[in-house]
Amino acid sequence: MLGMNLDPRSKLVIVFCITTLAVVYNTPRALFLLLAGTIGLLLLFRIDIKRVGGYLKPYMLLLLILFLAQCIFTPGGEVLLAAGSLRLVGSRGLLLGTSVVLRLLIVIAAAILLTTSNSRDFISGLVQWKVPYEIAFMVSVTIRFLPLFRDEFVNAVTAVQLRGVELKKVSWGKKMALFRQLFFPLVYGAILKAQQLSIAMEARGFRAYPQRTYLRQLRLNWADYGLILSCPVITLLLIGLSIVGG
Amino acid sequence: MAFLELRQIDFSYPGGRPAVLSGVNLALNREGISAIIGPNGCGKTTLTKIMLGILRPTSGEVLLEGRSVQEYTLAQIGRRIGYVFQNPEQQLFSSTVAEEIGFGLSYRSEDPAVIRERVEFLLDYFELSPYRQVFPLHLSYGEKQRLAIAAVLANEPEFLILDEPTVGLDACRKELLAAHLHKVARLGRGMVLVSHDTAFVNRMANRVIALEKGRVQRDSGLEGNVGHES
Ligand SMILES: Nc1ncnc2c1ncn2[C@@H]1O[C@H](COP(=O)(O)OP(=O)(O)OP(=O)(O)O)[C@@H](O)[C@H]1O
Ligand SMILES: [Mg+2]
Repeated sequence: MLGMNLDPRSKLVIVFCITTLAVVYNTPRALFLLLAGTIGLLLLFRIDIKRVGGYLKPYMLLLLILFLAQCIFTPGGEVLLAAGSLRLVGSRGLLLGTSVVLRLLIVIAAAILLTTSNSRDFISGLVQWKVPYEIAFMVSVTIRFLPLFRDEFVNAVTAVQLRGVELKKVSWGKKMALFRQLFFPLVYGAILKAQQLSIAMEARGFRAYPQRTYLRQLRLNWADYGLILSCPVITLLLIGLSIVGG
Repeated sequence: MAFLELRQIDFSYPGGRPAVLSGVNLALNREGISAIIGPNGCGKTTLTKIMLGILRPTSGEVLLEGRSVQEYTLAQIGRRIGYVFQNPEQQLFSSTVAEEIGFGLSYRSEDPAVIRERVEFLLDYFELSPYRQVFPLHLSYGEKQRLAIAAVLANEPEFLILDEPTVGLDACRKELLAAHLHKVARLGRGMVLVSHDTAFVNRMANRVIALEKGRVQRDSGLEGNVGHES
């Protein structure tokens, strides 16, 4: 119920604060706490955690690749794993890898918060704050399209399996090769679809008139004001603390 | 024993929406061409996705040769049952037309010469040869549809499920598709066609299943030859 009542702008501020912290924090412990806090927030907004799992699943492979790449290619620190005289994983790499993965998880979790408002409300909220309509629209389209890209990816994975490719039991080397093969066509396909969207928008009069009218006017209530003021302050405090403490 | 059997299937999409399918019973034989018809939104596409195990029924079970489809992986099912999606764009994911057709084969450690030959044949048959190096999503709608069908046929599955295969095809291409499907059927492979194209259905199918509001309204396979079915 809390999630339903909050103004989309308050949610944007919260998400902005969380992602700022995710960039500033650089120890796995702080990042882990931040992730736990973000998930707590999602629970508070009554978002089904099982659904969050579903959201994350398609990104798992990407996260794993990033993690391994960071582990292996970051020099420095103690050697934790070696093959003969060749060092594979150092302590610095492990720390960095963990941080990168946690950071991405935080960003994705925070973005889920935004899916609880519809995109119309985002636009009118931002426009009331004098953000140019075109920019507000782009922000909301991005938010609206993230789940679509995810669906697109899930679709492609289903289609690949239906052509007889075993994804679960295949070796990592083969998985990587497949991933490389699919990456470009999928991204390019997404761009093509975005282009079609922009043509459809112009055909329906996007940017044809300088003035726009809005059906719904959003109003900030006291909870929104509280959040919008307190979140940045808390964030600044936390950043300050991490600099002083770290 | 039926090749594919659906028992008391109920299904609704998550989010507390109304039931899309209720109490669907169907037995499909390994051979013969069945058509599923019905108005928009009556659950035809949903039914085919349940047959393949892409969607899991809310209750009831789907059996492939007597074993639950949940016991197979998607890839195992895909190797046996070829599925053409209603929206061809959803199943094109390669960089070129030729690669798209050869994709399934190249993952089955087939002899490269065999792959090349089959790809050439399908490119030629579905008149896609001039586009072999083109990015699949740049094709016209009808060409995408032909490509999606060709890519599925390349795997030579023993059963086919085609969701609206004639949409976007011109009369001449429809003719070619019908001829090819008849040829496939003569080889003893069965198929299910989902279609609004009455002429195509009448000419292809020897069994017509009419779906309405998520229930089987009429099934010609159960009328004349009940003994034959079981
Ligand atoms: N992913 C989904 N989530 C929620 N509801 C869905 C989803 N896909 C389909 N539906 C709903 O389920 C019902 C049946 O859809 P389905 O696609 O199976 O119909 P169809 O018979 O194939 O229609 P058409 O003739 O238009 O292809 C429709 O009312 C549709 O709105
Ligand atoms: Mg359909």
